[in-house]
Amino acid sequence: MVNVGPVTVLTPTGTLGYGFGDEALARGMSLKPAVIAVDAGSTDPGPSYLGSGKPLVSDYGIRRELKVLISAAHAAGIPVIVGSAGGAGTGEQVDRTTALVRDIVAELGIHLKLAWIYADIPIERAKAAVRAGVIEDFEAGTPLTEDILDSTCSLVAQMGHEPICEALEGGADVIIAGRACDDSVIASFPIWRGADPALAIHMGKILECGAFSAEPFAMDVMLGTLYDDHFILEPGSTERRASVKSVAAHSLYERENPFSQGGPGHQMDLSNCAFEQVTERQVKVVGARMTATDDYYVKLEGARLAGYHSICIAGMRCPTFAGAVGGLLDEARARAVDYIAPEKAHITFHLYGRNGVMKELELAPPSGHELGLVIDVVAQTQELAHAVCHHISGGLLHRHYPDVINPSGNLAFPYSPSDIDLGPHYEFSAYHLMKVGSPTELFPVHFEEL
Amino acid sequence: MSSRPLHELADIVRSKNAGPYRITFDVMFTDRARYEQVRDSEAIRPQTVAAAYGLDISQISSFFHVDQAMAIKVTIIRPRAQGAAGDGDMYGCQHHVPLMNIAVPVT
Repeated sequence: MVNVGPVTVLTPTGTLGYGFGDEALARGMSLKPAVIAVDAGSTDPGPSYLGSGKPLVSDYGIRRELKVLISAAHAAGIPVIVGSAGGAGTGEQVDRTTALVRDIVAELGIHLKLAWIYADIPIERAKAAVRAGVIEDFEAGTPLTEDILDSTCSLVAQMGHEPICEALEGGADVIIAGRACDDSVIASFPIWRGADPALAIHMGKILECGAFSAEPFAMDVMLGTLYDDHFILEPGSTERRASVKSVAAHSLYERENPFSQGGPGHQMDLSNCAFEQVTERQVKVVGARMTATDDYYVKLEGARLAGYHSICIAGMRCPTFAGAVGGLLDEARARAVDYIAPEKAHITFHLYGRNGVMKELELAPPSGHELGLVIDVVAQTQELAHAVCHHISGGLLHRHYPDVINPSGNLAFPYSPSDIDLGPHYEFSAYHLMKVGSPTELFPVHFEEL
Repeated sequence: MSSRPLHELADIVRSKNAGPYRITFDVMFTDRARYEQVRDSEAIRPQTVAAAYGLDISQISSFFHVDQAMAIKVTIIRPRAQGAAGDGDMYGCQHHVPLMNIAVPVT
């Protein structure tokens, strides 16, 4: 292994736009990081951001934080890397973020080299892969088909570190990457500098959530320093510490298998990892191993427009209605289905106080003096969704039932209008692995001198 | 032998999405003896977790004892994908209560 010397990565927060402390950033920058790297999204907020292309965080929030980070990095002469720009990392979201960077750079009166990397996958490219038999299900539970791809309105793939390294090789000072594997965003700079990829990617897994791996945890600055055979984690703020407990706990977060994890082109073996408290605020991590897979697979993430959404929010206070509500909702659903036949709608009752959160997984008996109801309708058109939603809300409001003590209305609406149109409803359509010929072929890098 | 709910013995019982099609649960301890006591009681195992949620055992995707992190990790297949019509918990972060109420025998 080449001795590259220590490489420190500063991750300002778990998701760009979710905030970090000024003092924590200043202290982190005093530790002379070689790069600022931050993740800006994932599938976690749901399929809407992928399907619609709208950003997860406001332009105001992204601009505010990127300005601080670009200023600090420019002063220190180090690059800034943002992965999964805009929330889902679509081309539209990358363009939106690079536009903010151009504004910031102009406002600061500085010059730098901007790179951006798209992660959009043309539908035809994925259909060709389906025909070639080089797509495997990841966890969607069904094979990806050409029909599903035809109904998919937005398709991205998670890039590994390689396209980001290509941007670094091209001399980029600010890199705005589309959808990227979270770990790779953090690991790319150390790997480009020659660090052990296994350790760099493991460090990326922990750093990508910022100071969520510290205690007290927060969306805040976290630093990792890679050495030849280990890395050291430390939060930026002196109000926090990294502990063996906080770091080990974070190693389990949001992933199924704590010992073995796949990524673009590799499989990580974390079964021999060990954590050691080296100072009050620092934890040393060793033991990650990595195997390059025979074929290079990237994870596809797709969303389709599944209809239009209307909802109604209502409260219920009367014990006689609460006693009858199960049957009344079933009846309201049946009436709505008849009302629009042969057209169809997907009707859900989120009944808070009974099973609103967990639905069929809720086994606890009813309790409490209030119930909250969200009537949730998805239909092929907004007009139909709205009509069904109001048919149900209006019907339930004035429905007579045995033992009724207050016949003037069954639902307490907090809003007028009672029925709210949420617009397009997106669902995940692809969550599959696709074999590619090279790690960079799907992720073109563009440069611009600002 | 008496029993106590898991939340009185563990320091953290949490749930979270692990991708759009899974919810993963972490039961974490700070005290090794207590972790080992709960682990060795086998009160928390795929069958008991499935029963706590009314799930068929086939819907338990994986189960691990993570000794180095003093944690028990179990993952379920979501009844409906994250964000699909009818999903009530976009982040899967409020599914922990039936797990934390499982009774663990204590001496």
